[in-house]
Amino acid sequence: MTSTLSTRPAPAPPVLARPAVGPPVRTRPVLRTGARRRRPRLLAPVVVVLGVVLAVVPLLYLFSVSLMGRNELVAGVLVPSDLRWSNWGDAVVGTTLTQAVLNSVLAAVGGALLSLALALPGAWALSRRGTGGRTLLATVMSPWLLPPIVAVVPLLTLLRILGLTNSLLGLTLVYGLVNLPVAVWLLQAFLHRIPGEIDEAAQLDGAGPLRVLTSIVLPLAGPSLVAVGLIVTLLGYSEFLLASFLTQDAASQTLPVHLSLLLGERVAEYGKIAAAAMVGILPVLVIALTLQRRLVEGLTAGAVK
Amino acid sequence: MATDLATGPAAGPAVSGPVPAGQRVPRPRRRAQTWQHRLMVSPLILTVLVLGAYPLVFIVGASLTESTLGNPFQEWAGLASAREVVASSDVTDALARGAGYAVGVAALSTVLGVVLALALSGLRRGGGLARGLLLLPLMTPPVVVAIVWRLVFNPAGGLLATLLGAVGYEGQAVAVLSSPGLALLGVAIADTWQWTPLVMLLVYAGLLGLDREVLEAAALDGAHGLRLVRHVVLPSVAGVVLAAFFVRLVLAFKVYDLVAVMTAGGPGQSTTVPSYLIHQAALQQFDLDRAAVITLLLAVVVTVVTVPVALLTRKVER
Repeated sequence: MTSTLSTRPAPAPPVLARPAVGPPVRTRPVLRTGARRRRPRLLAPVVVVLGVVLAVVPLLYLFSVSLMGRNELVAGVLVPSDLRWSNWGDAVVGTTLTQAVLNSVLAAVGGALLSLALALPGAWALSRRGTGGRTLLATVMSPWLLPPIVAVVPLLTLLRILGLTNSLLGLTLVYGLVNLPVAVWLLQAFLHRIPGEIDEAAQLDGAGPLRVLTSIVLPLAGPSLVAVGLIVTLLGYSEFLLASFLTQDAASQTLPVHLSLLLGERVAEYGKIAAAAMVGILPVLVIALTLQRRLVEGLTAGAVK
Repeated sequence: MATDLATGPAAGPAVSGPVPAGQRVPRPRRRAQTWQHRLMVSPLILTVLVLGAYPLVFIVGASLTESTLGNPFQEWAGLASAREVVASSDVTDALARGAGYAVGVAALSTVLGVVLALALSGLRRGGGLARGLLLLPLMTPPVVVAIVWRLVFNPAGGLLATLLGAVGYEGQAVAVLSSPGLALLGVAIADTWQWTPLVMLLVYAGLLGLDREVLEAAALDGAHGLRLVRHVVLPSVAGVVLAAFFVRLVLAFKVYDLVAVMTAGGPGQSTTVPSYLIHQAALQQFDLDRAAVITLLLAVVVTVVTVPVALLTRKVER
């Protein structure tokens, strides 16, 4: 098809020949097709630029507020003339912010590693053997469909019995479990793409399922583990509801809990709060921009055949 | 919870992917292999028990007994609290509000996400950078999203007030989050800002997977621009769009962080979504049996709203 197109001259504009039906016909293809015309297409770039502006401006405003004094904020200044980096100092020095960020990172990364370790064998078994098959996959996903508040009180009670409330370990275990369905869902979509012949061959050579998993599937699944791991890490890092119940003392507070408490203070200092929020999201923004490709792979794993 | 079981696989089109290769190997399996497989699947069973079955039993138990947060399951109360809760207009209002909010926010995010995905796929260059920037809201933790939008909506010098002033608006400052009519809209805007990029990304991935030959043939037949989009492109990604809408709907029902940080359910009850109401009942009033009944009702509402979408998604994908 493509070769035919390239040998053929650009087709005459069929627009002229067609009787006018409906609204005036646009000649600009919104999608790029082989039969595209060399005309400036403005709609797509304009929409994208508009979207980028809407996505980025609120975050830039947060950054801007983090450098403002109270007077400037109230006066409706958008870009402060005098940059008050002292807000950032106030947010970090003498507070538990860095501890909170560290706690969030530990719970998120620990939880993600746990999710991956438990999800990989399960996802592989589901994608290859049909062990329990689709019914099991659907069953595993079902807790994800309901709002997490549903499980909060039962989980809180369970952790209290186990003596794991107000501990980072408890939170890490909960994250590992709560994000497991998402990890299984995304991983099995990846694992379907590994040709079955590879592990069948290994089995014919006498490797048992666990051996196939560790020697064949694990190396092949490396990139997808990174992609899925990134997503469950971000989910853990951002999680607020469970953290606000499970970690209430300062030593185990996570970043979202810390930020919500700053807002609850009698006099909310917006400059300082914005600075704390900036400190908290910097790691995420760096990851988002540098590992974008992996993230996109992971996020779209379940959506594309 | 159990009612949702059947809807799981419809959530994403991936299920209709290749059939597991293992199914065409009728080789007799050794017992050790079977056990190893069961071992591999066991964490999944554990998850279902801890996150699905156990909370379900706990909540049904709590709804039928006198229960407080510190001291659940005191004595049998039967349907007393259920009757009380169903009769309470706070609860029915919150459930209706939550369902309306979820459908509205999901629809808005889906429309915007599809438009952005189409625009992104029509770019000749700069797509990578634009995609990276468009993903930033998705990466931002919800509590930070809530802070950002509180600052934007701040009537005393916030971004919105300043921009309105710049275009000549001189009336009273618009206090979005403290006016009963606008607060939920403010939360919805923040929610849409955060999750539209996910819809965009899913649909964009679907667009990249389209058969170019079909598009080219349609273009040769004279379908261009919006006609091409409406008659050829959108029908071919309808399954992906519906699946994205489904995911978005599920996520919109989960909204809690934004409400907790932006409005705390107020002013009045105007932003009290079911998740927040359950939180209030269980953890502020320690009234666990009331919270449990609301939770069960919420599960029913979520199921009733999402199952048709899941079924439709499955049908379109076939």
